[in-house]
Amino acid sequence: MGENGNQFYNVYEVFSKKTEKAPFQHQFSLLAPNADMALVMAKENFFRREPVADIWVVKRENIRGLSQGEREMLKKLDKDYRETKGYGYLKKKWRDYNQEQFTEKHIMGGREESR
Amino acid sequence: MNTESMHQQERTELKELIYQLADDDFILAYRGSEWLGLAPHIEEDVAFSSINQDMMGHASMYYHLLEDLGEGDADRIAHLRKPEEFRNAILLEMVNGRGTYLDKPDYDWAFAVVRNYFYAIHKQVRLESLRVSSYEPLANAAKKIMMEQYYHLMHWEIWFKQLVTSTDDARQRMLIAVDKVWKEFGGVLTLGPSYGEFVKAGLIEDEPLLKKRWLNRIEKVFKETGIELAGEPAIESGNGRKGEHTPDLAEALATLSEVYATNPASGW
Amino acid sequence: MQAGLSFEQLTNDEKHQHFMDRINRGEKIEADDWMPDDYRTSLIRLISMHGISEIMGALPEKEWVPKAPSLHRKLAIMAKVQDEMGHGQLLLRVAEDLMAPLGKTREDIMQDLFSGRLKFHNVFHMEAPTWGDAGMIAWLVDGAAIISQSMMLDSSYGPYARALKRICAEEVFHAQHGESIILALAEGTPEQRALLQDSLNRWWKSLIMFFGPKSAKETGNSNADKNIMYKIRTKTNEDLRQEFFTKYIPRIWALGLTIPDETIHFDEETRMWVYEDVDWKEFKQIVSGNGPRSQDRLDLRRRSYDSNGWVRDALAAQKAI
Repeated sequence: MGENGNQFYNVYEVFSKKTEKAPFQHQFSLLAPNADMALVMAKENFFRREPVADIWVVKRENIRGLSQGEREMLKKLDKDYRETKGYGYLKKKWRDYNQEQFTEKHIMGGREESR
Repeated sequence: MNTESMHQQERTELKELIYQLADDDFILAYRGSEWLGLAPHIEEDVAFSSINQDMMGHASMYYHLLEDLGEGDADRIAHLRKPEEFRNAILLEMVNGRGTYLDKPDYDWAFAVVRNYFYAIHKQVRLESLRVSSYEPLANAAKKIMMEQYYHLMHWEIWFKQLVTSTDDARQRMLIAVDKVWKEFGGVLTLGPSYGEFVKAGLIEDEPLLKKRWLNRIEKVFKETGIELAGEPAIESGNGRKGEHTPDLAEALATLSEVYATNPASGW
Repeated sequence: MQAGLSFEQLTNDEKHQHFMDRINRGEKIEADDWMPDDYRTSLIRLISMHGISEIMGALPEKEWVPKAPSLHRKLAIMAKVQDEMGHGQLLLRVAEDLMAPLGKTREDIMQDLFSGRLKFHNVFHMEAPTWGDAGMIAWLVDGAAIISQSMMLDSSYGPYARALKRICAEEVFHAQHGESIILALAEGTPEQRALLQDSLNRWWKSLIMFFGPKSAKETGNSNADKNIMYKIRTKTNEDLRQEFFTKYIPRIWALGLTIPDETIHFDEETRMWVYEDVDWKEFKQIVSGNGPRSQDRLDLRRRSYDSNGWVRDALAAQKAI
């Protein structure tokens, strides 16, 4: 191998969605010199069997992730004022008024959130 | 058109055409399978193998069409014919390089890229014509194959363009491969001695028309990458559509049927 | 972790304690997490060996790809060998990310393989002279591999566990591909049955060796204990070998095949299989590159690597800036 030796390739991270409705999900990484090559390699390396609706390749260098210290700091204190679990008492309150509390289904306009 | 309404003569022509389609894919996929584990890097090894599997899958679809046309068992058709009964173009049977896949392989990646890329363009052109073939089972097969063909073409196009516009060494090797492929590509483009009958029966479009479409696409790529067009592609080593072949085919057939031929009647 | 302090402010001892606490809580370590050098070295040793074994493991089966005896078998074995290469790709990526802080890349892995510093599984040093071997490798060698890989699905190292999850999912197809070949031969002509028995005779010793020695005393070193401490693996070599016996010996017998070990039997008292142990000096010889096909296969790999050097150089010139 020539002088390009260790700088031969870039690392590309591969993301995909399984169906059109699904969100993108990280799959794996591969080595390729550029995005075009990374894309054709991604298709055959990671989607030989499973169905796939879309593929992204992203040069790893272009991802700003968190350091370990930053990740540790994500384990934050409870913020119940911004989550439904902080409002558990409402159900009883509405019952006092002979009313039923709206569920997620009511609030979403009659639709259950589909997953 | 279906098999019942077909005249004996038309039936013969139809089979002749399908043999060409099947054998082209089969032999090139075989050559590709010899590369397994030897590609320039691991990611490409996996990708190349997908293409070869797809291509052998296409051959298998065509052999099953022949089985339906009364040519006997698809495995027997693929494994037990004599070299002169094969209808593939000679370019596609040529060895990958010096050595064998088991012993001191010195395979030429430039040749692999150029041969596969030029063939993929032709296959695309041919499928676009076959999808409206008068023989419905063939038209249906063509439509299915086209789905996979899109990514094969993309794969080889990226390889071709990146290598030919890269280092001087790479460009030199690629140009040598283009020359080598050019000398035989006429053999891929021809539909053989009975092509007039294929066209009359509405099985596929006219040979010069398909050839022109292929050449137009190639010209565009050559222009983009600064390669000079060296006239019409030739048929130097013989016409595979007429059953003319090189020792490379005989060697390939001996290998691919080695186990099957020990007992074709048994289950494997 | 000490309240208020950011991770970077901890002393090395505190980081080590924090790391062991996480492992013991069943948390997963990621590539850019702090880890003891010892953990990193163990992982690199294990995963680069595993990855390169997949790559080298493609070669004996690859010998049978062009020769597979039907269109369906040709397609299936091509897909199977391709998967092995694909597994190699996944694992080498995991190893490469671990090696990156040491300034090493895939190029170093390849050079280590060629120089003999990086070893690969004993089974892939052996000959595969018949189609029966193509079946035997997919059935029993892959069967053995599934047992040792699935043990590590819950490995403390997250990227390895994720790679193994993908790999094990595909191994199910491999196992069935192998069973299908084996059953066709077992139900075939006397010649086909003989092919199968010959192949079993040829592979049995290698299969015993596959799981490694019982303890460090057989070969003078064993990394298994350390890997258990770090929760990279959970079972000993012998646990795995016994699992393999329990899973496969009844099937081998059911097909009317003979295991080339007259002493082999299940001891009801100890609930263990009793078998004839192999010569572990021979094992060491084989994995050191002195097996019957070690040098041929290394040569094949080296040759393809060298003759394609121009391609990698050409692509490096096309590298996105």
